[in-house]
Amino acid sequence: MRFGFILKISGLILLRSWRATVVLAFMVVSAVASLVFLSSLAVGTNDAMIRNSTELFSGHIIGTDIPRKGDARLLAMAGVERVLIRRQRQFLLWKEDALEPVLLVGIDPVQEREGTALSKKTVRGRYVEAGEEALYLSQDTARRLQVDVGNEVSLGSRLGVPLKTFQVVGIYHTGISHLDQGQAFCPMDAFPGEEGFISTAVFLKPGTSIDNIVAQYRKILPSATFTPWMEFMPDLKQLIDLDDMCMAIVLTLVFSIVSVGISCAFLIFTLKNLREHGIMKAMGVLPIHTASLLVTQIGLLTVSAAAFGTLLGILAVSLFAHTGIDLSDFTSHNQYFVVSGVIYPRLTGTALFAPPLLAVSFGSMAAVWPALYVIRKNPAEILRSV
Amino acid sequence: MVSVQDVSKQYTSGRGRVTALAEISFSVQSGQGIILAGKSGSGKTTLLNCIGTLERPDSGSILCNGRDICALSARERALFRRQEVGFVFQAGNLLPWLTVAENLQFPLELNAIRGKMQRKRIEELLTHFGLGGYEKAMPAELSGGESQRIAFARAIAHSPSLLLADEPTASLDSANGRQLIELMFSLCRSQHTTLFIATHDQELLEMTDEIIYLKDGRMRQSL
Repeated sequence: MRFGFILKISGLILLRSWRATVVLAFMVVSAVASLVFLSSLAVGTNDAMIRNSTELFSGHIIGTDIPRKGDARLLAMAGVERVLIRRQRQFLLWKEDALEPVLLVGIDPVQEREGTALSKKTVRGRYVEAGEEALYLSQDTARRLQVDVGNEVSLGSRLGVPLKTFQVVGIYHTGISHLDQGQAFCPMDAFPGEEGFISTAVFLKPGTSIDNIVAQYRKILPSATFTPWMEFMPDLKQLIDLDDMCMAIVLTLVFSIVSVGISCAFLIFTLKNLREHGIMKAMGVLPIHTASLLVTQIGLLTVSAAAFGTLLGILAVSLFAHTGIDLSDFTSHNQYFVVSGVIYPRLTGTALFAPPLLAVSFGSMAAVWPALYVIRKNPAEILRSV
Repeated sequence: MVSVQDVSKQYTSGRGRVTALAEISFSVQSGQGIILAGKSGSGKTTLLNCIGTLERPDSGSILCNGRDICALSARERALFRRQEVGFVFQAGNLLPWLTVAENLQFPLELNAIRGKMQRKRIEELLTHFGLGGYEKAMPAELSGGESQRIAFARAIAHSPSLLLADEPTASLDSANGRQLIELMFSLCRSQHTTLFIATHDQELLEMTDEIIYLKDGRMRQSL
């Protein structure tokens, strides 16, 4: 029996038993569409977590030991949304008897405000502005120095040589220890002296390969150090990996359940047509062809239903991809949602292809039970009993 | 030629061991039409199934053109049925999802009769059975008589050497039933196909002298 004929008969059975086909296909379509959307939502959730963590201050890639300030401009390339240049150096801050070592970071206030969310973490006062001799201090440092907005503090070298006086214009609190302890920010043009390490915060466009960009940077500036967010935020990386694993388990579980459903429904469908299978066996259809017929039927059904489900899933993702799903009302109590509580579902290769591929492979497995049932039955037994 | 020698078959059912066939022996020449007569449960269908290799007898042998079909493997039996046997059952013979033409195409495809030859054979069968124009009709749209004629046409489409019909007139009125049996006898004679019809319809018994009577699995009257 030619495969083309098996394919034709399978297609005709599905087409001319369209009610049963629609019911069976509905299960697959709804499962695939939901899971394409859920997978994209999971990607969007991870993106939101990364965005909330990296857009606070660090960016996706931190570049340190940049030889010259001008070199940082080489880092702007395809896939890179923004490169923020910073200068940093250890100093001492004091007011009266209180003395505190700080890492002073010189920034471009306009660009930082556009690209990071640190300014949104102001608890008193305001963010620094270009051209002013002002400091933006962490709440913890301000408390230790016993200063508040409007006070003046002295800045000196680590040996205690006074260099400059700054006015505290704002106090912030992020809840993230490395930003809250021993950090102070001033406009780049107020940064004392020409010394200080140049660092960069690189922000990538969505979907850009971070490894690829880091590799290119290492070629352009071999003496500099580039650290992707996964290395300086390993806890977030772990969380996202676990999230991906959970999603894979959800996908497998859902399709196992769906395939059992398909198998049961298809067995009922096969039992309904058992006499016809008996007649075909009596006509000399071999067991391998009976199995092929049933597997092809389920295969055709799941492939077409999975394709339709994927299209529906893509449609659902595209509906929310630009507007996003605003969960701000549920996330506002969490101080770490500094950037936004909006999740933008995003399709990736895995989100797009894993659900339909799983549907087709589990669907094919669902054909095994009905096929074995029919193959094992003697045609005479079938024709006598039905 | 079909030669049935000492064929016996027993079933285990809720009533214990039931003898379906007991030492059945007879021979039939090619092109001969035989009626297997007897009441319900007499063993007609079991004998038909054994000749058609749907069932294997417990003992005895069945030779078809000198070949012992009881000794064949499951695959060989399926291939034997495909090439050498045509079946017509009581009712619901046709594959409901296929049109009349597709039903006729099925045994031809199984026997690798394709293309022009296949189309010609389908056309020939439809014309011969007076069902020209029914190619695209679905089985559900046919009357009982039309349906059985198509089933018969499908059974002989690949020119088998054996045609086995189990109560083919059970779902038909007597006129249609008679017409179908006459058609079967005449076609089988012209194509040298050995025909076995199992029936308990008394009217049909008057149509031939070549009858094997069965009662409780035993032959009561031989040819």
